[in-house]
Amino acid sequence: MFEKILVANRGEIAVRIIRACKELNIRTVAVYSEADANSMHVQLADEAICIGKAPANESYLRIDRLISAAEITDVDAIHPGYGFLSENAHFADVCESCNIRFIGPSSRAMNLLEDKAVSRALAKKAGVPTPPGSEGVIDNEQEALTTAKRIGYPVMIKAIAGGGGRGMRVAHNDVSLVKGYHTSRSEAEKAFGNSGVYIEKFIENPHHIEFQILGDGKGHIVHLGERDCSIQRRNQKVIEETPSPLIDNKFKKLREKMGKAAIRIAETAHYTNAGTVEFIVDDKGDFYFLEVNKRIQVEHPITEEVTGIDLVRAQIMIAMGEPLRFKQSDIEFKGHAIECRINAEDPFDDFRPSPGRIEMYYQPGGRGVRVDTHAYAGYTIPPSYDSMIGKLITYGKDRREAMDRMSRALGEYMITGVKTTISFQQAILQDPNFRRGVYSTGFVEQLLSGARRELIEPNP
Amino acid sequence: MDLKDIKAIIDLMKKNSVSEFELEKQDFKIKLKRGGNGGGAVYEEGPGVAYLPAQAPAALLQPAPVPTLVPSNEIEIKSPMIGTFYRAPSPESGSYVEIGSEVTSESVVCIIEAMKVMNEIKAEVKGVITQVLVDNAKPVEFGQPLFKVRPA
Repeated sequence: MFEKILVANRGEIAVRIIRACKELNIRTVAVYSEADANSMHVQLADEAICIGKAPANESYLRIDRLISAAEITDVDAIHPGYGFLSENAHFADVCESCNIRFIGPSSRAMNLLEDKAVSRALAKKAGVPTPPGSEGVIDNEQEALTTAKRIGYPVMIKAIAGGGGRGMRVAHNDVSLVKGYHTSRSEAEKAFGNSGVYIEKFIENPHHIEFQILGDGKGHIVHLGERDCSIQRRNQKVIEETPSPLIDNKFKKLREKMGKAAIRIAETAHYTNAGTVEFIVDDKGDFYFLEVNKRIQVEHPITEEVTGIDLVRAQIMIAMGEPLRFKQSDIEFKGHAIECRINAEDPFDDFRPSPGRIEMYYQPGGRGVRVDTHAYAGYTIPPSYDSMIGKLITYGKDRREAMDRMSRALGEYMITGVKTTISFQQAILQDPNFRRGVYSTGFVEQLLSGARRELIEPNP
Repeated sequence: MDLKDIKAIIDLMKKNSVSEFELEKQDFKIKLKRGGNGGGAVYEEGPGVAYLPAQAPAALLQPAPVPTLVPSNEIEIKSPMIGTFYRAPSPESGSYVEIGSEVTSESVVCIIEAMKVMNEIKAEVKGVITQVLVDNAKPVEFGQPLFKVRPA
């Protein structure tokens, strides 16, 4: 049994992890940069250690300082959250060698899924379809051209070390391919320290559907259903929901097929703890494996609402060596859940980040409403990190109820002092195509360009 | 020190959001502590110190830990890392520095041990140690004040 856990993260996910620990009677240690001294996770934890200046590479990414903090507070385990060091196999190794349990997959599983090219090969081994593409990293311009010719345009050039929607570029012909190949390589080198790129068939307006998995390291791997994350802006998720309206309305058999594929991938990778298997689905109902996210994800709450399973608690229990207490057949999916990410950005100014002091803060409530946030009145959002200040999740007995509840809840927010994307979310919830459940990853761009047209021609 | 002076100090503390103030002179010591909304303060002569506890502090939304009011000519040596603070190179040795020790920027003032590695911490300032702020073998965090130095 863990007595104390160090939370190696910040913001809303640190609050989430601390809550799960408290409910398990496990003491918590928060770490914080100087910019986060007033952050909610610092207030809620039992102990708090300052680990450096604001920039992440001087604080939350400093393995030496995290381990030192873990040592002086004598913790049993570290929960890495998402982002930062959560998918860093070296960090997982350092924790284990210091006798600190890393709450996440083993470094072995992480290495088997270490980058997108390696994962593609593993998916092939597991018999799971992948988008037509290169076998591995593209070594030169000529190989890029022959690969693109074999697959057929349009193609996507992707950084193998990319993540969070970054490091991807589309090419429609030889000229843009060659240009894109070289630009992508230098961008990837700068952003991820790894210039490796590979090429995949570009599926136009795909649907992004991912499956939550849990493995206990004792031979049991289950999936907890899908999340449809196609509502994205510039490859950043904006709204997520479960079940997927595409699957429910058009391709009901996909749930079982994709769920089984997700488990096969996890088994082939000897995966333990929580993870998410990402797929792309086209309009014909063909699905292709993309990658595995080897961490708890931002949108995990919608799975929790529909299955009744506390995913962060499951992570902690698995890390403590507990076997899963349920089989695949025990998992029930009830109702519908939607999540809206609330960012401190100005949707009327190209989503420019809006850090600063929150003056007034009132968040929605009532039946079927859940808010996961670290924000509060008087909190100053630091400019050094991402702009997400909270997640609004609504649950309903069906999609209609969850949507109506979401519209109702979005309207209850009162936040002054910073700009937020709440009005943007409201626009999406009122869009007729979204309400019908008919959308793909091109949805937001279409919505925004339509809105822009209206601004230019107010009276058509 | 009379009531007027104490009121002035309390006002200054309020104005600058300082939560603690301590002053020690030959026969006299005063410690003022603010908390929540309108905590109390007590003045007492002699070696003892007493203060009215603040009203139950709001568990959340405490102001950020601000540096205590430091006479403007003193510099704090802050910890550059996280670990355990040691005054001396080994349990048998004497401390690196005491109050009154002269230091240069290259003087080692303490050890901070992290992951079994003993890191010598340099003063990085020239002057005289006026205060030792952490007890031996206690854990310290990044940015935590370790010593006060009156610069030369």
